Amino acid sequence: MADTEQKTKILHVQARAPFEVYYQGDAYSITGANKVGKFDILPGHSDFFTIINPDSEVVIQTDTEDITIQVANGIITVKDDEVLLFLNI
Amino acid sequence: MRRANEIKKDTEEIETVEDLTSVFESLASTQVAKIKNKVQMSQDFFNLLWGKYISLRVDSDSQITRRQKEDNGRDVYVMISAEAGLSGDIDLRLIETVLRGYDPKTTDIIVLGTHGAQQLKQRGIHYVGYYKVPMTDTYVDVSPIVEAIRHYRHVKIYFEEYVSLGAQDIKTIDLIQQIQTMTKDAEGSSEVISDQETIFEPSLDEIADIMEDAMMSLAFSQAILESGLAQDASRFSAMSVAKKRAMELVSLYKLEYHRSKRADNDRRMREVMISIKRKERARANA
Repeated sequence: MADTEQKTKILHVQARAPFEVYYQGDAYSITGANKVGKFDILPGHSDFFTIINPDSEVVIQTDTEDITIQVANGIITVKDDEVLLFLNI
Repeated sequence: MRRANEIKKDTEEIETVEDLTSVFESLASTQVAKIKNKVQMSQDFFNLLWGKYISLRVDSDSQITRRQKEDNGRDVYVMISAEAGLSGDIDLRLIETVLRGYDPKTTDIIVLGTHGAQQLKQRGIHYVGYYKVPMTDTYVDVSPIVEAIRHYRHVKIYFEEYVSLGAQDIKTIDLIQQIQTMTKDAEGSSEVISDQETIFEPSLDEIADIMEDAMMSLAFSQAILESGLAQDASRFSAMSVAKKRAMELVSLYKLEYHRSKRADNDRRMREVMISIKRKERARANA
């Protein structure tokens, strides 16, 4: 039971550009910015589809480090804690 | 028969050519391995993005075909050639394929790659746009080309396709039609993402527009990568053939060199023998 709860608190993330995989694995949160403003994606987030602001940064918080990625543009999708970041498209 | 010294000099020159072709062959082989990896990564990325796009409940006719209502009534052929030569006859085959269906009254040509542009100029074929092949190790920026083709009715991309190291073909895709067909084929399948249960920021339509542009760019990038792969493979084949020919020539020249040397020795020996006989005859007569 405790294991199941732990699993639901993790995001499964793929952050990639056409020729590069920036990060693939679990994360606690993702921070970025879109037209509406700055946003955080945490485990349990509603299904979400957004365009990242051009020339902004995205931060992926994992259990060992915060990964900061500078992006020219991109799209983020969230569905059932599966997060896909399509960057520099 | 040529003199041994001349043959030796020619042999050394051919050996230099052999060394050079060997270096070019290795470079092409390394480049093929590198680009193959990029093609695979780009394909995976495209598939992931495509999976999300077809899940969006946006009518494909209202999106991609909308471009056709704003077109300029002309078609465009985009020809992706090499930046440099030394890639065998593949660019010539590409140009011949492009020109087979080309009608200047209805169609414009946009060319990528210096080699292709030079070849078209030599044949007196007019092109409306020329771009250098936009490739770096990490990013293929095709936005100027996508912008240039935006107002055409049909966009056909002609490029060189990698089949294997020894075989390359010319491939043609109708860009907009292909995306429309793929979208229609995918309708009714896979997961559904609608605004009932998903938050779209800024809006579903804006996101779909951006994804379409991204996929057009990606399709283009993939054609450019595929073309680069085919050109490197063709360069590898051309260099292998040149190296083999150089090795054969070196063997022939070495054989000729030894024959020439032996002939020189035989001639000297004959001259010595004749000289001895003359002296003997002169001595006997005296």
